[in-house]
Amino acid sequence: MIRVHPEPWATMVAHAEATFPNECCGAMLGTADGDDKTVTFALPLENAYTGGQEDRYEIRPEDLLRVEREARQRGLDVIGIFHSHPDCDAYFSKTDLENSCPWYSFIVLSIQKGKFHHANSWLPNAEQTKAEQEPLEY
Amino acid sequence: MAKILIPTPLRQYAEKNNSVDVSGATVGEALASLTTQFPDLRKNLFNDEGKLRSFVNVYVNDEDIRYLQKDATAIADGDIISIVPSIAGGLC
Repeated sequence: MIRVHPEPWATMVAHAEATFPNECCGAMLGTADGDDKTVTFALPLENAYTGGQEDRYEIRPEDLLRVEREARQRGLDVIGIFHSHPDCDAYFSKTDLENSCPWYSFIVLSIQKGKFHHANSWLPNAEQTKAEQEPLEY
Repeated sequence: MAKILIPTPLRQYAEKNNSVDVSGATVGEALASLTTQFPDLRKNLFNDEGKLRSFVNVYVNDEDIRYLQKDATAIADGDIISIVPSIAGGLC
């Protein structure tokens, strides 16, 4: 189960709507007790994909290095990554899977016609061959 | 001695340490020192062929080892080694 507090959730939705029709991305910080995760801070990141961003995103590793440092400074953990699917459902695509990391929760926000529609959280495996849906509360 | 910072989700495999002191003169030796101390980390960082998993990037201080000498990158006392994943995706 992953719970996102209202303030970080608002940050995530605002970032996803502001970047529409492109995909957005960002990191989620908080606390984890086993599989029970709570997101208390969201950090929007720049989509570094150099082609069309309406159906792709990429996070620079150096940005994630900065995120890890910020989490340590705040006394929080890096819980997961969020990104948006413009005018598309919040599934975990083949591209998402093949470029994922099993260490984090991945929240996908569906943005339809510029407005938030729904979201799902996913847990990819280490082989990047499948992702399990994780209960999400926001 | 160098220090490896352990990403949050991997701390469960490193007795909850957020950093681990490691021996070795290169990044490869430092990672071997890490996984010798905490064998459960091995499968999270390396594939069955013993190569770093495709999504794992290693930094020495602020430098990505892919642009240095990769596993053979020399490390010195006090260096900070970070493990950072590659993440991307898209709706197609």
